[in-house]
Amino acid sequence: MGKTSKDKRDIYYRLAKEEGWRARSAFKLLQINEEHNIFKGVTRAVDLCAAPGSWSQVLTKNLRQNAQNVDDVKIVAVDLQAMAALPGVIQIQGDITKVSTANSIIQEFEGLKADLVVCDGAPDVTGLHDIDEYVQSQLLLAALNITTHVLKYGGVFVAKIFRGKDVSLLYSQLKQFFEHVTVSKPRSSRNSSIEAFVVCKNYQPPEGYIPNMVNPLLDHKYCDFNQFTGPNRVIVPFNACGDLSAYDSDTSYPLLLEGQTSYEYKEPVQSPINPPYKEILEKTRNIQIKNT
Amino acid sequence: MSVFTRTDVTAVKFYKNYVLAGIGSTVNLFHKTSTKLLQRLSGLYGQKIYGFVPSQYGDKIFVFGGKQFTVVSLSDPEQSNEGTDLLCRLFEPVVCDDWLHSAVWINKDVIALLTAHNVVQKWDIKAGTLTSQHASKDNSILYSGLLLKLEEDVLVMAGTVFSEVIIHKCGAERPLHHLKGHKGVIFSISCEPSRNIIVTTSDDRSVRIWGPDNEPTHPGTTVEYWKDTNIVCKHEVYGHLARVMRSCITNDLIISVGEDSAICYWDYEGKLLKKALTHQNGCIWSVDSDNTTLVTGGGDCGVILHPLTIATDYSYNEIIDVGVASPKKVIFTARKNLLVMDENVLVYYDFISKVKSTHKLNHDSTYKLLSISSCKQLIAIADMTGKLDVFLEKCKDDAFILNIIDTKLQLGKILSMHWAGNRHLVFCSDDGNVSVLASNNATVEIVARFVLPFCKERWLTASAIDSGSKYFVLGDRCGNIHIFVKEQKDPVKSFSKVHGRYGPTSINIVNNDIITTGRDGTIMYFTIQGDGIKRLSAKDLAFEWVEKFLDKDQNLVCGFQERVFVVYNIKDNCKVIETPCGGGHRSWDAVRYFEKVNEKYEECIKFVYLKDAAINITTFQLSKITSTNLVHGSHAKEINCLKALKLNDDAVYISGGEDTTLRISSVDAVNFKDEVAFKHLSSIRTLKTHAIDDNRFLIMSAGGRAQICIKDVQILKENGTIRVKSEELVDHFIRGTDKERKGNQTWRNCSIDFDPEMRIMDLDLLKYKDDFVIFAGCSDSHLRVFSYKNKSKKLELINESKYHNTCILKTKIITILNKTTLITCTTRGDVTMWDISDVINCNFEPFFSTKTNKSGINALATANLPENQLLVATGGDDNSIHIILLEIPDQDYLGSMIMLNSWQSSNFHSSQITGLCLVGNYMLSSSIDQRVTLLSWSVKERNIVCEFVSQTSTDVADVQGMDLLEFNGDSITVCVFGKGMEVINVPTNQE
Repeated sequence: MGKTSKDKRDIYYRLAKEEGWRARSAFKLLQINEEHNIFKGVTRAVDLCAAPGSWSQVLTKNLRQNAQNVDDVKIVAVDLQAMAALPGVIQIQGDITKVSTANSIIQEFEGLKADLVVCDGAPDVTGLHDIDEYVQSQLLLAALNITTHVLKYGGVFVAKIFRGKDVSLLYSQLKQFFEHVTVSKPRSSRNSSIEAFVVCKNYQPPEGYIPNMVNPLLDHKYCDFNQFTGPNRVIVPFNACGDLSAYDSDTSYPLLLEGQTSYEYKEPVQSPINPPYKEILEKTRNIQIKNT
Repeated sequence: MSVFTRTDVTAVKFYKNYVLAGIGSTVNLFHKTSTKLLQRLSGLYGQKIYGFVPSQYGDKIFVFGGKQFTVVSLSDPEQSNEGTDLLCRLFEPVVCDDWLHSAVWINKDVIALLTAHNVVQKWDIKAGTLTSQHASKDNSILYSGLLLKLEEDVLVMAGTVFSEVIIHKCGAERPLHHLKGHKGVIFSISCEPSRNIIVTTSDDRSVRIWGPDNEPTHPGTTVEYWKDTNIVCKHEVYGHLARVMRSCITNDLIISVGEDSAICYWDYEGKLLKKALTHQNGCIWSVDSDNTTLVTGGGDCGVILHPLTIATDYSYNEIIDVGVASPKKVIFTARKNLLVMDENVLVYYDFISKVKSTHKLNHDSTYKLLSISSCKQLIAIADMTGKLDVFLEKCKDDAFILNIIDTKLQLGKILSMHWAGNRHLVFCSDDGNVSVLASNNATVEIVARFVLPFCKERWLTASAIDSGSKYFVLGDRCGNIHIFVKEQKDPVKSFSKVHGRYGPTSINIVNNDIITTGRDGTIMYFTIQGDGIKRLSAKDLAFEWVEKFLDKDQNLVCGFQERVFVVYNIKDNCKVIETPCGGGHRSWDAVRYFEKVNEKYEECIKFVYLKDAAINITTFQLSKITSTNLVHGSHAKEINCLKALKLNDDAVYISGGEDTTLRISSVDAVNFKDEVAFKHLSSIRTLKTHAIDDNRFLIMSAGGRAQICIKDVQILKENGTIRVKSEELVDHFIRGTDKERKGNQTWRNCSIDFDPEMRIMDLDLLKYKDDFVIFAGCSDSHLRVFSYKNKSKKLELINESKYHNTCILKTKIITILNKTTLITCTTRGDVTMWDISDVINCNFEPFFSTKTNKSGINALATANLPENQLLVATGGDDNSIHIILLEIPDQDYLGSMIMLNSWQSSNFHSSQITGLCLVGNYMLSSSIDQRVTLLSWSVKERNIVCEFVSQTSTDVADVQGMDLLEFNGDSITVCVFGKGMEVINVPTNQE
C-alpha cells in the first residue's frame, strides 16, 4: 500500500495530520460541539480514556476562551496507558474504576467539580459484536460511575457508544442520571460504523443516589422478553452533527482538495507508545512465523 | 421464525457420540461419526451461545452466552422413540445481571457461574434461584475466566484487562496466584490440574503454558494443591500471526486457535508439532477435543472436525534405494510402481515385491525427455537427437515393463515431448515445428504437423487431445494456449498469455471442458461449444505453482508453495496436504489411490521426490489428516450484498462480502454449501443479477478499487448435484489497472497519484436493446453510466454526473408511467430522481430531489401506486424510516414530481437501518440492532398510514441488508445478511 493510500481513503485522517491533531477523532468532538455547544462556559473538564490525546487537544484549544485567566481553565486527562505530554493538560495515569482516581481529579480541581466529562474510550474489539458492545457499554458505565463522583449538578457528559443490539439498555440507564440524552453521529464518523456518541445534559442523579465505586455499575437488563423486541424499547433522539458543508467521511476525495494547489504528505502526529503486539514484533524480527 | 442461521460459531463441545455447536442462539446437535445434523434447538433469546458445560451428574448440559443461561437435557436415542427430539430445553433462558464467562456444576442441581466483574454466583437450577454470590475485590472487567470445581470449593481464574490471571478460591479474601507475563488482554484460560497444566492465550499473540515449579504433593482438586504450589510460566510460545482466541488441552497435546485462522498443535513442552490453516482465513472462535478428534467453530460460519493424527501421525516417510547413484527422474506408473531414470538406465521398482528391473537406454545425448501417457501405462523417453523408446507397463499379473518401440526420429533437435492422451506423442523441434506421432505396430508415423506461432521460447510445456480426437490443445512456454486441428498447420484458435511466463503445467480435457493449470497460481476453464472454444473463468489458488490434478473429478490439485508440496481440495477450499520437500524444481510425482488398511478402504496419496540424490517417498493416509465439515464455511467476513434465487426447487444464494469474494451457494434439505467463489481485488459492495433464461443469468458485482465484474452464470443440476458453469465477461477497473495507472514505475520512484481511491457503492442495470446500461453510484460522489455490449464484452463509460457532493450509497432503477427512472441516495440523506429513458442522449440532470434522513441512507424500497403515484421508503444511519408519497403531475412528461405526504419514525430501531422491503401492504425493516420489524402501510386520501405489526430478532450481527424470498399472503420470508445470514419467516397475521 502506498504511503498516500490512507490519506486518500480517509479525508479526516489526512486533515488530522495536517491540522496537528493526534487522531482523527478530534473532529468528532468539534462537530459534537457545533451541534450541542457543550463547551459553553466550561472551565473544568475531564477527558477519560484520553490516549492518544486528541480530545484533550480539542479541549485545550476551545476552553481557553471561557476564562479571562488561562490558568483558570483546568483539563484533566485520565488513561490507564501512558500518553505523550500535552501543554495545558494535567495527566493522571490511573484506572477509572478506582475511587482514588476520582479523588485525584477533584484534587486537581481544588475541591470543585467538573463542568464537562468526555470519554472517547473504546476497548480492543474482538470482532464479535455482542462482546464488543458489552465491553464498550461497561467502559461507558465505568466512565459514568466516576463521572457521578466528579461532575457538578447540571453538568454535561459525552461518551462513545456502540449502537448494537442492546444499546437501548444503556439509554435507559443514562436517562436515570441526565435530563436530556441524545445520540449524535458526527459527520466525521463513518456511515458504516456502529460508533456514535451520547450527549447527556443536565446531570441530575436520582434522589438519594450516593456515588459508589465498590461495586461496578451494571447495565440494565431486559425485564421480561416483551421488552427485548417491540415498540416499547427505550430509543433516544438521534441527530447527525457537523456542518452540512463539512467533509464527508465516506466520500473519497482527491489528494488535491478543492481550492488547493499542492499536496504534501505528513507523518502522523503521534505514533502508538506501547502496543500489545510490540513484543512479538521484536521477538520475531529475525525468525519468520509462516503459515505453512 | 428462523428457518436457518449461519453466523459465527462461538461454542463447540463433544458430548458422548455427539458434537454440540452454538450457532447464534441455537443449539445444533450433530452425530460425530455420521456428521449428520440431528437437531436444531432454540437455546437463548437473541443471544449468541458461548459455552456448553455438560453435567457430571447426569444427561444435562448447561448452555450459556452473554447474560443468559439455560439447561438442555439429552435423551438416550436407544430408549426414545424414533422421531422424537433428543435435545430438550428444560426452562426458558434465565437472565443474569452480568455477562457470563464460565460455569461449573457443583452438584446435580447447583451450578456456579463467573461473571465479567469477577463475581461467582451459585444458582439452584431446579428452583431457578440465585442462592449465593461472592464478589472479588479485583472487579475490573474480565475478558476471560475459568471456574474449577475443587473437592469442597470453587477455584476462580480471572483473566483481567491488566494482562494477568488472578487465581483465587471463591469467597477468599486474598488471591492465591497472579500469573503475570502476558502483554495484552487474556482471551482464554484452559486448565488440566491432573496434568499440572494451565494454558492462557492473549492479544499479544502468545500462548503461555503455566504449571507448578515442582511436583505438587496434593491432587489438583484440593485447595492445598493451589495453596502450596508456586505456579510459574513454563513456556511462552509464538505460532500465531494474530490474536490467539482459545485453547484446549488433550492427553498429550495443547491446541490453540486464533484470529489468523490457524490451529497450532503443541506438545506439553511447547514445541510446535503442526500448524494448519482452516476456516477460510476467518477467525476461529471455539475449539474442543475428545482426545481423538478436534472440533473448531469459526467466523466463516463453519464447524469442522479435525483428526488429531494430523499432529502426531501426519505421514509415513521413507527413502528407497534402487541402485541408481544419481537419479534424474522419478515417476509413478499405472500400477503405482516407480520408474527411476538416470543418464543411462531406466529402473522399474515394484513396491509390493520390492523387485527392481533395470533397462539400459542407448541414447546419444545424456539429456533425455520423459513423458507418461494419460493412462500412465505408456512411458516415452527421447533424447534431443530423436532416439525414442516407448515402454509399456503390463497391467495384469507380474508387474514389469516392456520396450515396445525403439526407433530414431528425424525431426531435428527435439525441444519437448508430451503425450496427448494415450495414443499421440507431441514433439516440438526447432522453429516451433510440432509433429504429432502415433504408433503403427512397432513403428511410429507422423499423423499431424503444426507450427507454433512465434514467441520467445517456442516450445511446449503441456498438451492434450479431446475425446473425439479433433482438437489438439497445446501450451507453449510463453504461457499461450493454442488449439490445432489435424488438417491445419496454424492454430484455429489461440489464447494468449493464459498462464504466465512458465507456460501451462497441465492441460486436461473432460467431455467438453478444457482445464489448464499453471505456475501463476491459477486454474483456467475453457469449453468446447459447437465449433468454437471459449474461455470461461479462472480460479485463483492460494499457492503459486499449480501442477496437476490427482483425481478424475479435477478436485484435488497439487503443486508447490515455495518449498512446500501442497495438495488442495477445490470444492472445500482447503489444503489437504502440506509437506516441505524443497520445492518444485526437482523431479517428483504424486499419485492418489485406495488401499485396504484394517479391513477398510483408505484413500491415500503417495508423493515421491528427489532430494540430495535420494529417492524420498512420503505416504499420506487421508483419513488421518483430512478435516470433515459438519457445517460448511463461507464468507469469513461480513456479507455486504446478497441475492437469493429460486431455480426450480433449489434455492441459490449469490453473495459478495468484505472478504473480497463473490460466492454462489446452494442449499438442499440440510446443507448450505459454496459451489463457486470468485475473487475481487477489494471488498464487494453490491451485486445485481439479470435473468437470461430459467437457469442462466448475468451477475454484475462491484466494490472497492473501482472494480466492476460481469459474469455469465449457468446453474445446472446433474444427478441431483448442482454444477455452476460460469464465464467471466468483464473485469473492469474504472481507474485502470495498477499497471495502466503506474506503468513500469517501481515503488521507489513512483509519483503520487492524485486520484481518489474510489469505491463503487451500488449499481443497477438496465437492458437497452441487446445491450446493457449500468449506473454506478461511486464514493467520490460521481454517478457513472456505462454501456456493456454483449458482442464486444467491453464496458465503456458513456456518461457521468457530478450532481451529488457526497458519497452515493444507493442506486435503484424503477419504471413509472412506462418511463425508466433512476433513484440515487447519498450520505447526506438526499433522495434524487433521474429520467433515464433516453440514457445515451440525455443531458443527465435530475428532475427531483428531496432530503429524507438526517444522514446516510442505507436502505431503499419503492412501490408503484395507481394514479401516477410512487411510494419511496428510505432507512438510514439515523435509525429512522422515512416514507414519502410522490406524484407526477403531468402524465406525459416526467419532468417534475410533487411530494404529497411524508411519514417518518425512529421508534423501531436503535441503530442504523440497513434493509427495507415493501411487499404488498407490508414493509419489513432490518437494522444493525439485530431486529426485523414488520409494519403495515396504506395510502388513504393522499396520506400515508403506517403501523407497527411485530418485531423479531436475528442472530446475524452487523446486518447489511435483507432480500425477499417469498410472500404468500400469510407470511413473508426474507434472508437477512451481515456477519452471516439468517432466513426468517415473518407471519403477517398476528394472533
